[in-house]
Amino acid sequence: MFKHLITGTATLALMTGTALAQDVAREDTVIFDLDRTITDPTNFNWLTDGTGVRRMHGGHQVMWEPLFILDYNTGELDPWLAIGFEGNDDSSAFTISLRDGVEWSDGEAFNADDVVFSINLALENEEITAREASAIRSQVASVEKVDDLTVSVTLQAPNPRFMVENFGIRIFGSYLIMPEHIWAGQDAATFTFPEPIGTGPYTFTSAATNRAIWDRNDDWWGAKTGFMDLPEPQRVIFLETGGEESRAQLIAGNDLDAAQNVSVGTFEAVRAQNAAVIAWYEDYPYAAADPCARQLEINTTVAPWDDPAMRRAVAHIIDRSQIVNVAYEGTTEPSRTMFAQYGAMQPFIQAAIAAGGELPMTADVDAAQALIEGAGWTRDGDYYTKDGETLSVEIHVNSASTEYTRTIDVVVEQLQRAGIDARSVPVENGVFWGEVLPFGAYEMSYSWLSCGSVNEPWASMGRYTVKDVVPVGERSPGFNNTARWDGAAAEAYSAAVDEMASLPLGDPQIVDLVGQAYGHLAEEMPFIPLVQAAKLIPFNTTYWEGWPTNDNYYNHPFFWWNTGHQIVHGLTKVE
Amino acid sequence: MTRTSSEAQSGRTPPSRADRRQTRRLRRFDSPWMNPKLFWGLGLLLGIVAIGLLGRLFWNLDLVFTGSNTLKLPPVGFENLRRQEGTWINPLGTDGSGRDMLALIIMGAPNSLFVGLLASLIGMTTGIVLGFTAGFVGGRVDDTIRVLSDVMITIPPLLILVVFQSAFGDVSLTMMALLIAGFVWQSPTRLIRAQVLSMKRSGYVQMAQLSGASVPHIMFREMMPNLVPYLFGSFIASVTTAIVTAVGLEVLGLGPQRIPTLGRTIYEAINAGALIQNLWWWWGLPTLLLGVMFIGLLLINLGLDEVSNPRLRKLS
Repeated sequence: MFKHLITGTATLALMTGTALAQDVAREDTVIFDLDRTITDPTNFNWLTDGTGVRRMHGGHQVMWEPLFILDYNTGELDPWLAIGFEGNDDSSAFTISLRDGVEWSDGEAFNADDVVFSINLALENEEITAREASAIRSQVASVEKVDDLTVSVTLQAPNPRFMVENFGIRIFGSYLIMPEHIWAGQDAATFTFPEPIGTGPYTFTSAATNRAIWDRNDDWWGAKTGFMDLPEPQRVIFLETGGEESRAQLIAGNDLDAAQNVSVGTFEAVRAQNAAVIAWYEDYPYAAADPCARQLEINTTVAPWDDPAMRRAVAHIIDRSQIVNVAYEGTTEPSRTMFAQYGAMQPFIQAAIAAGGELPMTADVDAAQALIEGAGWTRDGDYYTKDGETLSVEIHVNSASTEYTRTIDVVVEQLQRAGIDARSVPVENGVFWGEVLPFGAYEMSYSWLSCGSVNEPWASMGRYTVKDVVPVGERSPGFNNTARWDGAAAEAYSAAVDEMASLPLGDPQIVDLVGQAYGHLAEEMPFIPLVQAAKLIPFNTTYWEGWPTNDNYYNHPFFWWNTGHQIVHGLTKVE
Repeated sequence: MTRTSSEAQSGRTPPSRADRRQTRRLRRFDSPWMNPKLFWGLGLLLGIVAIGLLGRLFWNLDLVFTGSNTLKLPPVGFENLRRQEGTWINPLGTDGSGRDMLALIIMGAPNSLFVGLLASLIGMTTGIVLGFTAGFVGGRVDDTIRVLSDVMITIPPLLILVVFQSAFGDVSLTMMALLIAGFVWQSPTRLIRAQVLSMKRSGYVQMAQLSGASVPHIMFREMMPNLVPYLFGSFIASVTTAIVTAVGLEVLGLGPQRIPTLGRTIYEAINAGALIQNLWWWWGLPTLLLGVMFIGLLLINLGLDEVSNPRLRKLS
């Protein structure tokens, strides 16, 4: 919220920080943008952090490596710390084979003991809150070491997507393996991992609230075993830049190599100043499609929004094309259903549309007002009232990006005009993810919590089943069903989705089940899909080349994800 | 023989230029309120109020809402980075979410002034009541009020207000004024208390006390009229402080969300990269208006100083 104050000092602090540590030339350093404050820079226990900042400051991009990486282009799981896996016939048990020769940066061998120990951490500790840990806890029955390089996992129920979901970085993170020789005997809920180590090619040097510095470990196992060459950058820095203005100025001035999302206008202005700055596409709209479609999350336990008719009314009021034009300046498209509009998702999108789940591109305020009036509200001047009470709603929004706040500004305006006294409540990133969303402390909020599906429907649909319903004030497991959607329709929906869960990927029955389940979802609207997300991520080619782009599609450009490893390895120094 | 002496000899001397200036100046001293600084200051502030009033009559204020116009249009006669030219539909251009700048100014400028006036009205009233009470009643009451205002004066208001507003999320203009009022009463309280203490010993007050006048009567009917110019000056100073505080909060993104204010417009401009996109009208116009507002307040303050302090007038 007041980040731009910090920003002025950000570069200064960075310089001081660098001066204190061993000197590395700018051309050997790669600087990534961090869009949030590292609230507790000495705590590396990512398992107890719901906001993700204990990983995305470099932790899971350069230090902790994943077992597999999902290639968005090919849909394949590329092996990393593991070399392969095998499921049994009904996908209720998996055997994972680990790579030989992997070492922790302190020289200890990485092996099956670490994997078994880490999975047990999630199974045995109810207090750890990371989404990935909740997923493990709700799926895994038991885990066993077969030999030093083989682990066997038994699930509670068949799940053909188990590996990609938990160990393949489908979205943002994967379940990270922690070193048993350090974590053993510690209380996972309180241990802060003060001297973090990982298997990655960089080791932790220093961190403050606005930056984290990582230096290359020239003794990295991957280079020794021939898995991969050492990455070229000697130092990696994650720097909190603050708002759009400062990240734009920093990247235009070559003080930043990769920036977080900016608007088209800003990107064009940066390009006018610095021709070395590129993005996913060479030309308009520049932005890459993000798998997390944006939505309006509704707390279905709060009146009057506990009435499905009122939620449908809100859905009718929303004009998606105006959101695209105003908040995204035309760089994205309205959502047709809850799903990300990737090619592989088309059969499921069609099934949802056939079930009556298609969302209109523009508003139908008359239909909305008929629904509101049907619920007993009458228009009195600007707003609807009932029993002397004005129809109002507060929409919580994360203030970290103008993309978020501006979308909600547009929605607020549309609701106001239709007779609902809507207000936007911007809250700080940590409060938003830590307090507002998981505990249901909102009426409506801006989120992307149905995010998950990129090539099959269950990952998204499975997030709104009744088994994840908890009362307001209790933490939603893994940010699932934060809408607290319950009741007969929700149960019918959950039954269809649960059935879908056990079917192997590609089973034609899945499409039918999507249609079945989606009918209930469209009827009840526990959340309202808004628009597809597009991320315009500027990369600077002044010092480093090899950034992911549409022409160099080794993977998506989201450098704050666990896939950041690929980007750091992909960089080559500009001579 | 000089011209002056010959004119002196003739007996009926026409006034020289220096004399005329002197007479004019003296005439001006006859009414201390005829002060050019005061006039200019009031003129500037009334100008802003007039923009607000006339704008409401002649301009479509619905243009102030998100998405009501094309985005990022420049003022008439200019071109933006996309080579779009300004149009008379939005004569002062539009911001990054399609809000008309003219409508923003019409709505926003009086809002900022309103917060300042309301906050300092409440703050001054509290200050007057507490200051008079402390000075006149004395004893324990004086101790309590003095300690309270001394403690409050050491607390940096912006810090507290930032915390308050973050907790409240969206606040209304009135709520913001109330919060700020909580931080502008201390200095008037202290200063008025000091004035009252010195006045308490003067003859007319003692006479009033002897003739049995009530305490409120003495405080507000006998003593306060003597403090009016001083109170005005103090009032204007606290309006300035209140506006600076309000704008400070708005520029941090706190304060009302949907009601346009000048500070919030600047916040949004900075947050959306208006500087690098060269959208100068987005942040420039509100900054300019705030500048005009503060110069107006400053001139009024200087003018009032001269009204209440004749020694300053001779210097002009």
